[in-house]
Formats: sequence, C-alpha cells, structure tokens
Amino acid sequence: MTKPPPSKPHEITELLEQWSGGNQAALDKLYPLVYEELRRLARSYMRREPKGHTLQTTALINEAYVRLVDQHQVHWQNRSHFFAISAQIMRRILVDHARRHLHAKRGGGARKISLDEVMLVAKERSEEVLMLDEALANLARVDPRRCQVVELRYFAGLNNTQIASVLKISENTVMRDWNLARAWLYQQLSETP
Amino acid sequence: MEAERWAQVSRIFNSAIELDGEAREAYLKSECGADESLAHEVKRLIDSHQRASAEDFIAEPAFANSSESKTLADGQQLGPYLILKHLGAGGMGEVYLATDTRLGRSVALKVLSAEVAHDKRRMQRFQQEARMASSLNQPNILTVFEFGEIDALNFLATEYIEGKTLRQYLRSHKLTLPEILDVSIQILSALDAAHETKIVHRDIKPENVMLRSRDQVVKLLDFGLAKPTESGSSTHANDLEGETQYKTAAGAVLGTINYMSPEQAQGLPLDERTDLWSTGVVIYEMVAGQVPFKGRTKSHTLVQILENEPVSLSEASPVPVPDELKRIVEKALAKQLDERYQTAKDMAVDLRKLRKQLDVEAEMRRSVGPTLAVESRATSSVAAGPTVTSDSSRAVKYGMLLLAAVILVGAVWFVTKSRFVQKPPTGPLPSPITQQSLTYSITVQKYRDSKPFEQPFQLAKEMLFERDYQIRLNVSSPKSGFLYVLNEGPHEKEKPAEFVVLFPSSTSNSSSALIADNQQVQIPETSWIKFDQEKGAERVWLVFSANAIAELEPIRAYANEKKMGLIDDSSLSDRVQQFLRTHTGSKPTVEQNAELRQTRVSAPGDILVHVIDLEHQ
Repeated sequence: MTKPPPSKPHEITELLEQWSGGNQAALDKLYPLVYEELRRLARSYMRREPKGHTLQTTALINEAYVRLVDQHQVHWQNRSHFFAISAQIMRRILVDHARRHLHAKRGGGARKISLDEVMLVAKERSEEVLMLDEALANLARVDPRRCQVVELRYFAGLNNTQIASVLKISENTVMRDWNLARAWLYQQLSETP
Repeated sequence: MEAERWAQVSRIFNSAIELDGEAREAYLKSECGADESLAHEVKRLIDSHQRASAEDFIAEPAFANSSESKTLADGQQLGPYLILKHLGAGGMGEVYLATDTRLGRSVALKVLSAEVAHDKRRMQRFQQEARMASSLNQPNILTVFEFGEIDALNFLATEYIEGKTLRQYLRSHKLTLPEILDVSIQILSALDAAHETKIVHRDIKPENVMLRSRDQVVKLLDFGLAKPTESGSSTHANDLEGETQYKTAAGAVLGTINYMSPEQAQGLPLDERTDLWSTGVVIYEMVAGQVPFKGRTKSHTLVQILENEPVSLSEASPVPVPDELKRIVEKALAKQLDERYQTAKDMAVDLRKLRKQLDVEAEMRRSVGPTLAVESRATSSVAAGPTVTSDSSRAVKYGMLLLAAVILVGAVWFVTKSRFVQKPPTGPLPSPITQQSLTYSITVQKYRDSKPFEQPFQLAKEMLFERDYQIRLNVSSPKSGFLYVLNEGPHEKEKPAEFVVLFPSSTSNSSSALIADNQQVQIPETSWIKFDQEKGAERVWLVFSANAIAELEPIRAYANEKKMGLIDDSSLSDRVQQFLRTHTGSKPTVEQNAELRQTRVSAPGDILVHVIDLEHQ
C-alpha cells in the first residue's frame, strides 16, 4: 500500500494530455503503464483484504488514477480518458484470465495459476467473459460507442452516471445504448452453438 | 451488419421498447412499412431485450466479487444465520440464501441497505411488510420467521422458496388453462386469509406472485404496501392515506399502474375489493398475454382503467377461452365496486368450479379414448350441468356430470377446438379425481429401564402398546396437499379434548402443512410420541386435503418449541374438535399391506380424515 507508484506521475499525465490532443502514439505508451498498475493494484487488493471482501473495480481504477496521474497538472477531462482506457485494460486482464482459466480447466493446466488471479473472475463466468469479448469486438466495428458503454459497465463496473460523464452523453442515452447493446449481445450469445 | 441499417434498427428498437402491446405493433408497422425483414430484426431484438432483462444478463460486472452492494460474503455468519449465497438485490436491499443454524433450516435473508435503513419512510415500509406478513399464517403467503437487527444490519428472515416470480415465468412459459386457474385460486386463498384479518395487499401483480419450482405452489410476496382497511378512520385521514398510497404505488415502482383498480387510480380509500380487481388483471394477462388496460403513457392507461371496457378476454386471447372464465374476469374488473366480486372467497369458488369442470373433462377424455383426448374445451354448456354442492354427494354428482360432459363434448367436438395445452395423461390411470389417500406406517421404539431397547421396528397398523413404548408415524400421499396431524389425549366423553399439533411443526417442512407428492413425512420430526401415565387411547388424527383447511390453519401457531404443540386456546381446540367430528361421517377405506408394513387409507371427496387409536396397557 505504501509502495510508491512505479512510473512518474508526470510521464503518465503528459501521455494522457498528448493522447487527448489526438496523439495515438501516446496511447501505445500509456497502455502498458496503466496495465501494470491495475494488475498490481488488483493483486494487492486481493492480498490485503480479508477473504470474501468485495473488490470494487471502480475503486481500483480510481486508486490507480490517483497514484499514476499528477492531480495538479492534468486537465479534468483527462480523467474520463483515463477511465476509458482503464476499462479496456480491465477487459483485457479479465479476458486473459478467463482464457487461462478455461485452458487450465480443460487439462492444459500445467501452468500454475496464482490465487489472486483465480479470484478475479468467478469460474462459471469465464465462458461468459470470453464470448462477450468476442461479440463486443463485432459490435465495436459498427457501433463503437455502444460497445464502450458495455465495456465501462461490465468490465470497469461503472454505473450509468459515471458512464455518462466519461462519454459525455446523457444518462438517458447511456440507458438506451445499454438496452440496445445488451439485447444485441444476448442475441449473439444465444445464437452461438 | 451495415451501419446505416443498424442505425435504423437501433432507432426503431429504442422507441419500440418504450411502448407496449398494440401501441408497439402500430409503431412498428408505421416505421417498417413493407420492409418485413426490418420489422423481424427489430422484433427479435426486442425479444432478446426482454429475455436479457428477465435473466439479468450481464447485469453484474465481470469481477467475481464486484457486486458492489454485496454486504455479506458467502460463509459469513450474521447472528444465528450462516450466509450461503447471494440471491439478488432489489430496491430495498439484498437477499441471501442462509441457514438458520439454530434450527438447521434454509431461510431467505433480506438485508436492508444502509441507505434504506437511514430512510425513515422506507424503513417503515420494511417494518410494515414484516409485521403484516408475520401476522398472516397461510400456505400461499410467504412465512416470515424473524425481523430484527444484528451488527447494525436490519434484516427479515423468511421462508426460502426456490422458484420464479409469475412475471419471470410468463416470459418463458405459456401457462395452460388449468395452471392459470390453479395460480389464481391460490392467489385468492392468500388474499382471503389476508382480508380475513382486515389486511389489503394493494399491490397484486405478477412480480409479487412467486411460483415454487418443485410444485408450482404460489406464494404471495411483498406486503410492503399492505395496510389494514381504513373503515374506522376519519375522512381526513382517508384522504391523506389514499394520496400517499397512490404516490407510493405509482412513484416507487415503475409500471405498476397497470394493475391498479379505478379507486386506487383516483387515490380513493381502498378496501379488499381492490385486490380482486388486480387479481382479475393478472388472470387476464395470464390468459391473453397482455394486460387489459394499457395506454401509450401512464395518463392514457389511467383513462383506460377509469373509463374504458377492456377488449373482451375471448378476443384478446390467442386461443379460445371458456365463457365462464370470461365472465369471472369481467366481474372482477367491474368498475363499480358493488358489481365486482365482494370477497376473495366468492371469486375463488367460481374459479374452483371451473377448475373442476376441466378435471372432469380431462378425466372424460382419458376414459373416452385417445381420439377424443387430443383437444377439447370447457364450455358454458358444460357448466350448465349439475353443480357440486357438498362433499358427501360429490362422488355421485360427478358421475352425472361426467356423463353430461361426455354427451356434450361429443356434440361440440367438431364445432370448437381449443389450443390450450393440456398435459396428456401419463402412466397408469390415476385414481378418481375426487379421492384423497394417505399411506402410513408406525415406527415403534421399545424402552427398558428408560433406555431404548432393541432396534425400532415398523408396523402397518396399531397394536396394544406397552406404556413406555415410543412411537413415530411415517406418512406420505401420492398427491400433493395439506397435511395436518393432531394428537388427542385420552379424556372422558363429556370433557373437552386436548390437542397437540404433531404436524406441521416449526422444525420441519418450513412450518407448512403443504407436502409434495410422495414426500415422506416423519411425525414427529425429531422426537417421539410418548404415552401419558393414565390408561386410555391416544388418538392421532390425520387430516389431508387438496386445499388448505381454514379451520386447521391456526394450529400452526402452536407447533413450536415454546408451546410444545399444545393448543392451549380452548376456543380453538373446540373449533378443531368440531371440525374433526363433522368430517368423520364417511369412513375412509383402509387397506393394510403386510409385506410393506404400510396402511393405505383413502376416501372420496376433497378432505380425508382418518384416526389412529394408539392404546397402551
């Protein structure tokens, strides 16, 4: 908990600024830094909290944000950007985890999975996570915003109000996007044999 | 998927899900025009939307422990309750499956969210629900075990029901006509008990009706809006009450106005009859697949409720509807209070009669043969046959009714066809429909010098016991129904009887009298029947019925450790005695099976009463 953050807040703040300014290369550098921090935080959460404690994804991302970004320098809108990329990252962490988990379950499991990782996703949800990830990738091609709503809600655990502020749309729109995207995903998943 | 097409689909979808029934159909027609594939695509998406919300699809974030409102973890102990599983969350808080470690029984533990606990009004609602429901003791009303506070958490412990709400059920199933009637009759039985104690539910809707998976038994939920009838209060208080009520009902839970009675919609004082209206709406919906009053907006719906007659049930329903059912629903939905059913009992009686007609027909189809057994219909002409009036004459009259039905159906067979799915008869021919039966055996444990002696043994019938023998009964029925077992101690003829409740018991079967078909019930559950010091016969009364018996339901209040089952209220034991005396007229048939060491008792009619005399020397 008291361990200092691994990267310099200035660096990340600057990258966020650049990315918001339209520099896509900044995102490529930003991504691994945030990824590492989120993973590290998730692990330490699992270690220090008593068994059965609830892990709050939103709180996790918030903590990562506070630790990674220099609060005095960053423009407030960048917080939204940070949440948006964190949601993507959480999705990747969860999907990777689910894949390994299923792999291990199907007998490919020579590889040892550490306890903290196992706790991330409930066993029975691994399949759901993977299937959803795939369907979401299809949705993103035609409708990136609605895909993002699902990502923020399902993978980052944000509520509608938070999503509305991250995407700068109204809460009603978030609700409508969610209804549509969920119905579409449900249809996709139920058609998959 | 083409972007333009997708934009079109999403726009229509988003508007369409805000509408219901006809309004939605009309909207889709106007938007999609002749483009049938577009209409189809949107409709499929709407269907997925409904399923996804019913199943809570991806409602929880992917993180295993991320349900952020989860207060208690699996395996955690809250006072005597061991948390087993998080079942869900609702407006008031969360629900867990837990074990009451004191009694080893499963309970549903409703834990109030801190938000609610600090909200005085919602807290009041929660307490009200607890009080109301716990004052009611009826098999179709969720039993409340305890309401309290442990570690600063307010909770309500209730009977745990594995099942679905009627709303969830209707999304995925089409109910058959007999099923619809069974559900309705049970809702009304629950209401009858509530109304008896002057409690009006006020919020009857499919979301508040739970169907137990195992046997489709109905449990009425959510007495949170329930209130005692306001007959005694002043006009001023009435107005206030009415107003608050309307606001709570309309504002707190979305969509409930569809089930509101006209008087409720106007914020007028309510009595029992409002529940009968709402039950009528629920029946209509089960049959027709849509509610009778539905407008584009809430205001339109209110106008419909107040001003318009609904589309007749037979027109709204995709399948033919018995005229009698149409009449019952119309009577329940009479806008004028005095034209409506006046009591839940009256309405239940009419539905039961209809249910029996269907049974008779089903029976008839079995006996007439497979060609006729495919489809038939309960018509009002069948209802014109002799009506069943009393238990004793039932068997004979059924014979006549059956004959009448055979002739009639032969005649109407070519004319009408019904697509109400009726389950085809399976397996061996069932026993006549109006017969109840029980199978029992007696387990005996011998005692010597106050210690158990030898292994317990099983008997088919009573014997002359030694005084220190201890006894248990094992009872089951091939059909599900309500079982009451009472022990009447030896007493002189003129003196009043003393009764001890042996079943239901607070330690088994969730305190309920309702047993499943072929469920083995051990009586007593954990102890034994011991003989009194004085000589004489201990009588054990077995009462079994298809329906809950109003006269015997109150005995459940004595079936606990404190009272030890003893009915110490003399007026109640008088009523029980009265009931038993009046129902022993027709002796049940008794068959003993020496090989299985079992006795089977059966009797025609709805209620079986059998007495076992246990004598000791």
